[in-house]
Amino acid sequence: MAHPSNHFQSSVGRKVVMALSGLGLVLYVIFHMLGNLQVFEGSHALNGYATMLRDMPILLWIARIGLLSLAALHIVLAIQLTLRNRRARPVAYAVREYRQASFASRTMAVSGLVLLLFILFHLLHLTAGVIDPSSADRLDTEGHRDVYGKIVHAFQNPFIVACYLTGQLGLGLHLNHAVTSSLQTLGLERAAFNRLIKAAGPTVALLVVLGNVAIILAIFLGIVRG
Amino acid sequence: MTFTLKIWRQKSPDEKGRFVTYKAHDVGSGMSFLEMLDGVNQGLIAKGEEPVAFEQDCREGICGSCSLVINGIPHGPDRGMSTCQLYMRRFPDGAAITIEPWRARAFPIIKDLVVDRRALDRVMQAGGYVSVNTGGAVDGNVLLIEKDQAETAMDAASCIGCGACVAACKNASAMLFVAAKVSHLALLPQGKPERTRRVKTMLDAMDREGFGSCGNQYECEAVCPKRISVRFIATLNREYLRAGVVESGLPAEPESPHAESA
Repeated sequence: MAHPSNHFQSSVGRKVVMALSGLGLVLYVIFHMLGNLQVFEGSHALNGYATMLRDMPILLWIARIGLLSLAALHIVLAIQLTLRNRRARPVAYAVREYRQASFASRTMAVSGLVLLLFILFHLLHLTAGVIDPSSADRLDTEGHRDVYGKIVHAFQNPFIVACYLTGQLGLGLHLNHAVTSSLQTLGLERAAFNRLIKAAGPTVALLVVLGNVAIILAIFLGIVRG
Repeated sequence: MTFTLKIWRQKSPDEKGRFVTYKAHDVGSGMSFLEMLDGVNQGLIAKGEEPVAFEQDCREGICGSCSLVINGIPHGPDRGMSTCQLYMRRFPDGAAITIEPWRARAFPIIKDLVVDRRALDRVMQAGGYVSVNTGGAVDGNVLLIEKDQAETAMDAASCIGCGACVAACKNASAMLFVAAKVSHLALLPQGKPERTRRVKTMLDAMDREGFGSCGNQYECEAVCPKRISVRFIATLNREYLRAGVVESGLPAEPESPHAESA
C-alpha cells in the first residue's frame, strides 16, 4: 500500500484549507459591511465606531495580520490548484457546452483577480491614503478622526465610485459561487438542508453587495451629505 | 436522414490528431449513435480507408465503454444515458455533429476516439475494494443494513466507470468517480473497517494520475449516464476530513510486539 501523503498536501486537503480561509474572509466581509452601514447614522456614530477599533491596537493588528495571512494562503492555494487543473487537460475541446455550471463558477479566477486588485486599491485609498491625499485624516468636532468626512469626500468622485462598484461586482460574483462551494468542500450535505446550502452563496453575495453599494450610491447621489 | 460528422482522427498516441469531415447518408431515425458510426465505417472500409476507431461493448448502457464527446457534451445531449443509448432521432436531419474523444492528461488517446482509461483502474486498485478473509461464506442476513443506507450505497455503486465525469469537468477531475466508489463502500458494514485508509489512498492515487481538483460546478453530475449525485462528493470530502482526524494518532510501528496481530 502506498504511504498516504500529508493530509493537507492532497488536492482535497488544499481545497479544504481554501474553503476555510475563504469562509474566514467572508465573515470579515459581512462584519465590515455591517460596521460601515453606520454611515447612515451620521458622522458621530461612524467616527465613534472607527475610534473604538483604533483604541484596541493589539486586537486591530491581530485582525489585520490574520486577514492578510488568510488572504495570502487563499491566493497561493488558488494559484497552485489552478495550475494543476490547467495541466490536467492539455488539449482543449473544439466544442464545449456547459450544462449546469453557473456563470459565477466559471469566472472564479477572473472575479478573484478583480477582487484582489480592488482590495489593493481600497487599502491604498482609504487605509493608507495614497491614492487621494487630498482626503487626509482630519479631526471632527469631537476630536475623533473624521472617517465619515473622508468617505463622503471619496464617493463624490465618479472615478472612485466606478472603481468601488467594479470591486463590488467582483465580490458578488465570487461569493455567489464561493460560499455554497466551500460548504460542499467541507462535506456539509444533508437532504434537509440542501436548499439552504444552495441558497447560502447567492444570499450572502446579495446582502453584502447591497449593503456596500447602498453606502456608495447614497453618498454619490447626495442622500448622505457631509 | 443525413448528417455531417466532424470526427477527431489520430493514428497513434504520439501522432498529432485532426478533425476530418464525413457524410453519414441513409441514417434511420431509429438507429443508435454507434450504429450510425458503424454505417460510416462500412463506407470507409468499402472505399479502402481506415475506419474510425471508437470503443463499445454492451450497447445497452451498462459497460461504460462507449466514450464520445458529442457536440461538446460527453455521451451527447440527453441526460442519464451513455452514447450507445442515444438515437439519431434526437438530432435534426442534416445536422452537423462534432465527435471528440474524452480529453484529459490522465486519459491518453490510443487511436481516434479511443482513450486509455486505466488510470481509473489504478485508482480502484489503490483502495476500491474490501479485504475478505477466506473461509465459509457468511449467511446473507447476519449483517443487517438499514434500507435507506442500502439504497444510497446502491445509488453510488451504479457508477459504471465510463469517465464521462472526467471528460465533462473543466479541471478533468475524477472526484465524482472516486466519490461514488468511496461512498458506496463507506456506507456498508463490509467496507467500514478499511474506510479511513481507503479514502486517503484512493485520493492520493487520483492526484498521482494527474486528474484535476473539484470546482463544484457539477458538470459531472449533468453528464453521468447513471445520474450519480454530487452529494457523494460531499460525502467523499467528509470521509477525507474524518480520516485526517482519526489517523492523527501514532501509526503502528513494525517492530512493536503487536505487529503480528496488526
